[in-house]
Amino acid sequence: MRIRNLAAVGLVLFTVGACSSSATTAPNNGSPAKAYNLTLIQGVAGDPFYVTMACGAQAEAAKEGVNLTVTGGNKWDATVQKPVIDSVTAAHPDGVMVAPDDSKALLDPLKSMSDAGIKVTFVDTKLDDTSFAVSSIATDNLAGGTLAAKTLAQLIGDKGTVLVVNVDPGISTTDARVKGFQDEMKNHPNITVLDVQYTHDDPTAATTITTSTLAAHPDLAGVFATNVQNAEGVAAGLKQAGNTTVKTIAFDAGPKQIEDLNAGIVQGLIAQDPYGIGVAGVQQTVLALKGEATTATIQTQLAAITKDNVNDPSIQKYLYKASCS
Amino acid sequence: MTALTPGRARAIRLAIAVRLEPLAERWRAFSATRGGGLVARTLGTNAAWIFLLLVALMVIFDILAPGKFLTEFNVRTMAENVSVLLVIAVGETFVMATGGIDLSVGYVLLFSGVTSAQVMNWGGHDPTDSGWDVVLLGLVVALGSGLAWGVLNGLVVAKAKVPPLIATLGTLGMSWGLAEILSNGQDLRYLPRIIGDMGAGRVFDEVPYVVVVAALVAVVGAVMLNMTRFGRYTLAIGSNQEAARRAGINVDRHLIKVYAMSGMLAGFAAFMSLAIFTTTTISGHANDNLQAIAAVVIGGTSLVGGVATVVGTTIGVCIPMVLFSGFTILGYQSFWRDVAVGAVLILAVYADQMRRRRRERS
Amino acid sequence: MAQPLLQARGIVKHYGHVEALRGCDFDVYPNEIVALIGDNGAGKSTLIKILAGSEQADEGEITLEGRRIHVGSPFEAMRLGIETVYQDLALAPDLDGSANLYLGRELMRPGLLGRLGFLDNGAMRAGARQAFGELGVDLQNAQSAVANLSGGQRQSVAVARSVAWASKVVFLDEPTAALGVVQTGRVLETVRRIRERGVAAVLISHNMRQVLEVADRIEVMRLGRRVARFEGKKATIEQLVSAMTGGIAEEGAA
Repeated sequence: MRIRNLAAVGLVLFTVGACSSSATTAPNNGSPAKAYNLTLIQGVAGDPFYVTMACGAQAEAAKEGVNLTVTGGNKWDATVQKPVIDSVTAAHPDGVMVAPDDSKALLDPLKSMSDAGIKVTFVDTKLDDTSFAVSSIATDNLAGGTLAAKTLAQLIGDKGTVLVVNVDPGISTTDARVKGFQDEMKNHPNITVLDVQYTHDDPTAATTITTSTLAAHPDLAGVFATNVQNAEGVAAGLKQAGNTTVKTIAFDAGPKQIEDLNAGIVQGLIAQDPYGIGVAGVQQTVLALKGEATTATIQTQLAAITKDNVNDPSIQKYLYKASCS
Repeated sequence: MTALTPGRARAIRLAIAVRLEPLAERWRAFSATRGGGLVARTLGTNAAWIFLLLVALMVIFDILAPGKFLTEFNVRTMAENVSVLLVIAVGETFVMATGGIDLSVGYVLLFSGVTSAQVMNWGGHDPTDSGWDVVLLGLVVALGSGLAWGVLNGLVVAKAKVPPLIATLGTLGMSWGLAEILSNGQDLRYLPRIIGDMGAGRVFDEVPYVVVVAALVAVVGAVMLNMTRFGRYTLAIGSNQEAARRAGINVDRHLIKVYAMSGMLAGFAAFMSLAIFTTTTISGHANDNLQAIAAVVIGGTSLVGGVATVVGTTIGVCIPMVLFSGFTILGYQSFWRDVAVGAVLILAVYADQMRRRRRERS
Repeated sequence: MAQPLLQARGIVKHYGHVEALRGCDFDVYPNEIVALIGDNGAGKSTLIKILAGSEQADEGEITLEGRRIHVGSPFEAMRLGIETVYQDLALAPDLDGSANLYLGRELMRPGLLGRLGFLDNGAMRAGARQAFGELGVDLQNAQSAVANLSGGQRQSVAVARSVAWASKVVFLDEPTAALGVVQTGRVLETVRRIRERGVAAVLISHNMRQVLEVADRIEVMRLGRRVARFEGKKATIEQLVSAMTGGIAEEGAA
């Protein structure tokens, strides 16, 4: 008698438990789960990398039934991004995915955001202090730099002078790429790496740096451009100089870079997966909002794209878009 | 509906005028009194209209985003985020009052931030626990750096007679380049904790120190412009430089002082920026000069000098920030913000032109 | 006749090859309005510029109250009590009447505030009211920017400014050139009142009728020297014109 009662109670408890958990773990069913408001703060608006990230985020948001707003400053500039962060905090979404423009200067505003009860996830770049973040999702930029070095070394026959065109010091992502590149190049004794040049994310500066370096080092064999803006500028510089011998490896595979790849102006692209970062950003933030376990660090994949594999379907997903449609 | 003939229109206008006449009479009497005259003059100023525009914008955003825009948090952070620009804009007001322009401000700021941070990092050891003496030294260096560039601007404009647009464009490039050289293109990210605390600290736990400081600078600037001989000479030079010269004013020396002041304020703003961001933000401040000029013009200072208002500049600094914050909170794409601010700027210049044209006709 | 207040003898001035003044003389007596007339190119403006310190003579001497002086700059002229109303007025259009009146010579607040540079606007406005009142300049809105005034009022403000600070001589270069009839009348009235304050006025004008109306004496210049002097009451337009154009070769009193 007692065992039967015990079993009955146990069955009831089990059924109740199963039903309640299914209500919270089946958002895809469109059951009345709360429609969270999320905001994505891009590193800079208009950059194909961040546009693609927004596309991925939007797709995932639609899938999960949450609302997504996308915003960002029109320059990669911590002093411009701070007011954006503050305003988003004031708008008080439930969760924010953010790519901070500076790993230290934006600590205070993002901490305030987190203190206000908003879940903060870092996408692409991050702060030095990630303790209050739900998750940090980024490309393994160090591995990306290593891959770039290996690919470039191969392209130039493992000897010659190479130039690194970077954005600004202090940006976690590009710093890691350059480090990976420089460390890998130590294994290639016949390659000389010139001093790193900075462009402040300005393509025209990249163009000028390229043409002046060519003038100073006519034997320049290769260039590594650490992001989209720099890649565009370097390509323009090489075109201006009418140069066809320098091999260029660029980070990021925006539409212009693919064009340049096909036209032979750039010889290799290291593509990140911004779409995947956007998707993972939304996923992690929603998990945190639902009180479930999140992953502290997620590193997304990279691919080396050359003219040979650019049309492979497996590579297609790594190509960045200028707009989501 | 009967047609509105010119005769009828005239009759209607007359009828309205007759009814309003006693009111007009009372207004004239009021304006003739001392206090009343002050009120009348204030209402007539551009600053009053700009203030109304600011209030209107805030009300609109409050309606569109209830409970989000006019919160203590947002008002506080908006004020904090304009404080550095306001300090620069006060200096720019004086420069534009003389009919000149200072394009170098954002980069002089960068340079001063770099020199200040480097001085505070002297000796190579970690400056985080450095005391007030180091911080004060950093402030002095920041002010001195800004002052030096300002004096250079003044000398080139006043003595070499180079047009201010070109002169300050030159110092823009030089200060930026030197800032890059001195810093090796790297942000200095280690500063005494005291500075960061000042940047984040608040009075009565409510008003950020940087806002109080910026407000003080604006108040001193307004008093200087309107109540001192320095301010009057500034406006006279902008209004008619030759007349000022003939009246015995040492125009060259005064111009140097005005540009020096602008530079020094840029140096002070640099120190404030170090306090807020705790890094030298070398990649930033690129548009500070244009934003400052826009704020000054929106506020009612004339592009050709002679008419200037620090009160107007203060309001002018707030309008783009209000638009920025409101649009962001409402989720609009960032570029619409820039469109809106650009439109306000054009309207402000247009209003200034209208005022001038009306005056010339009389 | 009383001793001249300001006297110039043998002034020579070259501009490159052009001889603007060839030994020009000039006299101004206290408490009088003297008109300086002559055809274009006679050298009137040049003479005035030299006497007011904007230019320096190549040869010749200037005496003030019998003392030989050298007017090295406009500021020195001001210090000597000589003021000039220029054709372009030299007013700051955005400042009001009192600010323009006191431009360069502002009144400061007493004590510490004054040393810090604070202006005494109240005192300046009161002073302006008095100065303008004495000269019959009527500004309905004293705090309006000078640019909002009519041409004649602006001219009157400029004249009032010179008169307020001049202790000896005021030079007026074509003060009514751009004005209409009514406004010209107002300015001339202001010019007359200069005399009442014990200051001498030198009026350059092309308008013969105006000159005859207002001047006590008329000095005529031609080709860089003085060629005639006339009493204002007794001269006729024909005499003036013929002196200007060469009808009378030497100096002669009418």
